[in-house]
Amino acid sequence: MRFNRKDSRKRNASLLTIRLWDFTGTAILNLFLLLFLVTYLSPIPFMVISSLTPRSQFFDAKAPILPSEHLTFNYEGEDLVVYKVPTNDGIKTWALYKPGRKSSQFIDPANPSAGPIEWIGQWRKLNAVYRFKPTLQNYKDFLAIADISRYFKNTIIVALASEIGVLLSSIAVAYGFSRFRIPRVKFIFFLLIATIMIPSNITLVPTYYLFSGHVLGWIGTWLPLIIPHFFGSAVLIFLLRQNFKSIPRELDEAAMLDGAGPLRILISIILPQSLPVVTTVALLHFFYIWNETRLSSLFLASAPNLQMISVAIQQSQSYFFTPEALMVGALVVMIVPVTVLFLSQRFFMRDMIVTQIEK
Amino acid sequence: MDIVSQNRTWLSSKPARLTRLQQDARIGLLFLSPWLIGFVLLKALPILAALIFSLTDFKMLSPGTTKFIGLENYAHFFRDSAAGAGLFGSLGYFLVTVPLEMVVALALAAIFTSERIKNKRISQTLIFMTSIIPSTSIFFIFQGSLAYADRLIFQPMDLPPIQGNGLLLPFMTLWSIGPGFLIMYSAMESISNEIYEAARVDGAGPLARFVLITLPMISPAIFFSLVINLTGAFGGAVLLDRGYVLGFSLSPMEGYINSVMFTQGNLGYASALAWVTFAVMMTITIYLFRSAKRWVYFPEEDDSNEI
Repeated sequence: MRFNRKDSRKRNASLLTIRLWDFTGTAILNLFLLLFLVTYLSPIPFMVISSLTPRSQFFDAKAPILPSEHLTFNYEGEDLVVYKVPTNDGIKTWALYKPGRKSSQFIDPANPSAGPIEWIGQWRKLNAVYRFKPTLQNYKDFLAIADISRYFKNTIIVALASEIGVLLSSIAVAYGFSRFRIPRVKFIFFLLIATIMIPSNITLVPTYYLFSGHVLGWIGTWLPLIIPHFFGSAVLIFLLRQNFKSIPRELDEAAMLDGAGPLRILISIILPQSLPVVTTVALLHFFYIWNETRLSSLFLASAPNLQMISVAIQQSQSYFFTPEALMVGALVVMIVPVTVLFLSQRFFMRDMIVTQIEK
Repeated sequence: MDIVSQNRTWLSSKPARLTRLQQDARIGLLFLSPWLIGFVLLKALPILAALIFSLTDFKMLSPGTTKFIGLENYAHFFRDSAAGAGLFGSLGYFLVTVPLEMVVALALAAIFTSERIKNKRISQTLIFMTSIIPSTSIFFIFQGSLAYADRLIFQPMDLPPIQGNGLLLPFMTLWSIGPGFLIMYSAMESISNEIYEAARVDGAGPLARFVLITLPMISPAIFFSLVINLTGAFGGAVLLDRGYVLGFSLSPMEGYINSVMFTQGNLGYASALAWVTFAVMMTITIYLFRSAKRWVYFPEEDDSNEI
């Protein structure tokens, strides 16, 4: 009996040690990640603060970092700016009433009935008193410049339409590259890699000619931004091919013996095991379309109503190239991608893949 | 649907070995057809045109006076020191940014595959988020936050102001880590749990599991990242676009090609430069593909890594 108890106490102790180590490991890992995130994201508060700051503050060298405005004091119907005034009795916070070159008159907000106080010195060298006041005016200005919701709608339509095409074709082509014995497949794959390496700007002029009225007549429509994606994207095909090839063929072969055709194998064996990579591909394409400006500004120059949000924001910012406008534009345009990113995270979970296979 | 019905005879009946291979090839080509058709219809002609442009003195503003000048553009490349600087600049850019990007992306992905991490969805979203900030804002964020750091930390401590130029490249690399991180992470999440369980039973610790299982299993994704970062450094395809305007590029060589093309309007010479860059990139890539046989793991070892 005694022996047993001792033994179990020992086991409990070692279990406790394991748990303690486990907890320490988890804590260290999470703490490390938190520190990394805080450093990594440290410029983000700057974006948010800038977007909430009134434009005039950027021209005021003495202004504090947070969005603020001058503290004022209403005296006889006039808003007077409050300054920190050094006097013989220490620093006073007085409102400037009548500025002068050598001496100025101030009002004491604590005792306005005492009337103006004469102060000798240059008021321009004084520091004004600020109070914290974020403004949403920048956002209002930004939303007023153009029909932002229309551009959002345009981009979502183009992104979703091309997303369908790029996913269907890229998955099919990557499957073809990874599972079949095709003669000269190495040469075809070489061509695919070669198209990735050719700078796109260099084929821009002939491509524009191809889409222009001389051949296809697609300029001023969404077609040049959607249709090419239905033939697959070389980069995404390459990425998917790398993943498909790393899936063992045992399950394929088992399904094949059960009489499943290639399409069946792709849909019920390959894709469920590749869910994280397919999600990655879908996200990368979506974000690419969302931010892309070169092609859309070129092909939709004659149809401003069909323009993408990225181009619309860039155009609006060319009128107000000021910090707060840039930050507001960036933050507004990022809302949709960040939401999509957050919602898509569940497709990366490993347990989800396993359940899919077991089905 | 045709493919499914066609395949009733694919394996079940017993055709001769040759016909089965032919069948396999035919179905495979059918799957490749979207890209092949797209290549012929939309890619081949513009690429051919760019090749022909490189042999002419095509100017954007006066296309009418274009004449054939043979290899003159290519000869000019060898006298053009700015082009050489661009090429070496791109090589340096590749050598500096890629190790940083890959190591941080790998480390982050490895951390996130751990079950110990809390609030994964938010952290991952935050890490990727910086990669989609539009180009117009990104440089301002960099400058502005340096100025803030200066006011908040460096000035009160009487330190000299930060020299920001050296920090721009690491900053841009780390703030573009989203795609690389996602690729590594999704590759790691695709590894089946059974392999890890088997290794755990055999007594492999976390480090051993990472080096002996995770790294070989995601080597195809690492290889992909390497190739795509190479093209990014020299001016080929990129995974994410920040919406840079036409003439701008982070890649030194592409920046030079763009300036020749858009500022000088000299499409002929720009095309020749692009083809030279292409040759350099392709040489490195072919070398990478050759080396892949030794370090990129696929379950079926065949010769398909070669090109």
